Amino acid sequence: MARVITITSGKGGVGKTTTTANLGTALAMRGSRVAVIDADIGLRNLDVVMGLENRIVYDLVDVVEGRARLRQALIKDKRLPELCLLPAAQTRDKDAVSPEHMIDLTNQLRNDFDFVLIDSPAGIEGGFRNAIAGADEVIIVTTPEVSAVRDADRIVGLVEAAEKGPPSLIVNRIKPRLVSRGEMLSVDDVLELLMITLVGIVPDDETIVTSTNRGEAAVYDQSSTAGKAFLNIARRLNGDEVPFLALQEQPGVIERLMGIFGRRRP
Amino acid sequence: MGFLDSIFGRRERSGTVAKERLAAVLVDDRYKLTPEMKEQMKIDIAEVLSRYLPSVDPDQIEVAILRGEGSDKLQADIPLRRGRAGDE
Repeated sequence: MARVITITSGKGGVGKTTTTANLGTALAMRGSRVAVIDADIGLRNLDVVMGLENRIVYDLVDVVEGRARLRQALIKDKRLPELCLLPAAQTRDKDAVSPEHMIDLTNQLRNDFDFVLIDSPAGIEGGFRNAIAGADEVIIVTTPEVSAVRDADRIVGLVEAAEKGPPSLIVNRIKPRLVSRGEMLSVDDVLELLMITLVGIVPDDETIVTSTNRGEAAVYDQSSTAGKAFLNIARRLNGDEVPFLALQEQPGVIERLMGIFGRRRP
Repeated sequence: MGFLDSIFGRRERSGTVAKERLAAVLVDDRYKLTPEMKEQMKIDIAEVLSRYLPSVDPDQIEVAILRGEGSDKLQADIPLRRGRAGDE
């Protein structure tokens, strides 16, 4: 029986799709059967991030409206045969899908997969409600910025109101150097504000840009610190206890100078 | 802000500012407390207290909801005009 996990954020552009693609890939690399669903109807993106855009024949709305069977619409990953994508419709009306459809869809997938990951659209409207309808668990992605954290807090309230249990948190794009200078919210700050359980810390990493350009998940890239962080999250989802990546960088010259001058005030 | 500012401690570091601002706005969001409601609350507090105490100026009152572990609390800072019993 699959665990159905929705990845959401409230604010757009914080890395939901990248997170879904990398966690799906990492879980499949570790031997799980994984289906990833792009629930952002009208703004299809998970396919290009995963490099599967040329293989789409049918999409989620085709399945919901009975033009295709679920099996026909699922696209197999290029490298991992146990990883499948159900793409979003690109051209159709987003009102074509209802929460009941999503519950039905996820239930159909439960028997054949170990994990079903749903990439939620941004916002708190219908698309978000569809995305969490079939979920057993919710992971909220945020970045250490005031707007993203504020929206994440709204989502926490909505997820709890929808009785999905307490969501867990991924803090994405943390910049250790800025945090150590006190110029960025730290992971501890974000946790203190949102008061939910941490499942991952992902450093800001330029290799995400290059891996996304190529349509390859960062978890394949041994040099990618973000990829390493996503692999760790996958292990935690599998129940392993994995310490969080230590993000303390060696302080640079300026930081050391500032330390000498007693920058830290009480 | 530049690092020169932080050397001389001229401004609070922006991470701290962000955290403080968020702490306030998240609580207000959760309690659906608008700035207008806060102002009205101050006026009402002043009105009630003035039945018992020398006059309280609503403009001087500061109210904030603070988040706690188990429960949140409303903190109000209400300066009183100094007075003695029987002054009036």
